[in-house]
Amino acid sequence: MSKPKSSEYKASEQEKALASVSLAEKNYFRQKYLPKLTQLRDRASTEDYEGVATGRAQADTMQALSGRPSLAAARSVDSAADMASAAGAQALQGRVQGLTAQRGDQVNVLKNARGMAADAQSGLSKAARISSTKQLQFAQAKQNRRNANFRAATQLVGQMGENRQENLGLQDAENDQANKGFFSTLLPPQGLGQ
Amino acid sequence: MALYDGLYNTKDYRRDAQTDYTSSLPNVSDPEATYAAITRQDYNDYINNFRDFEERLLGQTDDQGLINRAREDQKTQNRIAREVQQRNIERYGGAGLSNAQRQQQQRTLQRGGQLAMANTSNNSRIQQREINNALLNELIGIGQGVNQSSLSGLGDASGMAAQRQAAYKNAKAQHHSNMTGLGVAALGMFLGI
Repeated sequence: MSKPKSSEYKASEQEKALASVSLAEKNYFRQKYLPKLTQLRDRASTEDYEGVATGRAQADTMQALSGRPSLAAARSVDSAADMASAAGAQALQGRVQGLTAQRGDQVNVLKNARGMAADAQSGLSKAARISSTKQLQFAQAKQNRRNANFRAATQLVGQMGENRQENLGLQDAENDQANKGFFSTLLPPQGLGQ
Repeated sequence: MALYDGLYNTKDYRRDAQTDYTSSLPNVSDPEATYAAITRQDYNDYINNFRDFEERLLGQTDDQGLINRAREDQKTQNRIAREVQQRNIERYGGAGLSNAQRQQQQRTLQRGGQLAMANTSNNSRIQQREINNALLNELIGIGQGVNQSSLSGLGDASGMAAQRQAAYKNAKAQHHSNMTGLGVAALGMFLGI
C-alpha cells in the first residue's frame, strides 16, 4: 500500500480556472457595477424629482389658462380663482408623481443593496460551513488514526496475554519449549509458530 | 467542426481561441480564505455604502414633507393668480370694471384661494399617506428578507456548532471505549484470564 501524496489532492485545472474567473468577475463587479448602485443611491437622495415634475405641471397649467389673455377673462369674476385652484391641484399632482418616483428609486436601491448583503451573509455562512466541515474531517481523520493505534495496541496486548497463558501452560506440563521469566512469557513459546 | 462532435479535444479548442484572457486572471491560491474575505468585504461595503441611506429611508415612513410643500405651492399659486388678474385688468385699461365689480373679483379670488388651500391640504394628506404606506409595505418586505436570511445564517451557525459538539462527544466516547478495551486486555494478561 502506497502512502497518499499531497499532489493527488491538488486543485484541478478546472477548479483553478473557476476560482480565477469568479474572482476576476467579482472584482469587475465591485469596480464597475457597485459604483453604479451608489450613484443611483446619491441620485435618488439628492435629485429634485418633485421640482422637475412640478415645474412641468406649472408650465402646462399656465399655457392652458393664461396663454391667451382676453377681455372676457379680465372681466370674469372667478377666472383667477379657478386658475389658483387648478394650478395648485396640478402642482400637487407633480409633487406626488415626483415623490413616488423618488421613493421607487430609493426602494430599488435598498432592495439591490440588501440583496447584495444577503448574498454576502449566505456566502459567509457557506464559507463557515466549508471550514467547519473541513475541521470535522480533520478531527475525524485524527480520531481514525487514534482508533487504529488503539486497535493495534489492544491486539498486541491480547496476543501477549495469549502467549503468556500458553507459556504458563507449557511450564505446568514441564515442556522445554516454555519461556521462563515474566517478560519472556509474553513472547510466543520457543519453537512454536516458527 | 462542432465542439462536442466527439472529434474535438482540448488542444483543438485552445488552438482556435484567438486571445487567451484567462492567462491574465488572478491566481487564487486559497479559495476558501478568498471566499471568506470577499463575503466579509461585501458586508463591509454594504455598511459603508448603504447603512446610512437605509436608515434615512426607514425614517421616511412618517414623512410630512409633501403636505408642507403642497401648502407652500398653493400659496404661490394664489399669489400668481392674483398677479395675473391684476396684469390682465391693467392690460385692458381697467376692463371696464366698476369698483364694486373689482372688489367682488378680489373677494372671489380670496375665497377661491382659501378653498384651493383646503383642497390641496386635504389631497396632499391623502397622497402623503398613500406614498408613506407604499414605502412602509416595501420596507416590510425588505425587512422580511433581512429577518429570513439572518435566521438562516444563525441556523447554519447553530447547526455547525451542534455538529462539532456531537463529533467531539463521539470522539471522547470512542477514546473512552478504546481505553477500556486496552485496560481490560492488559488486566486479562496480568491476571491470566
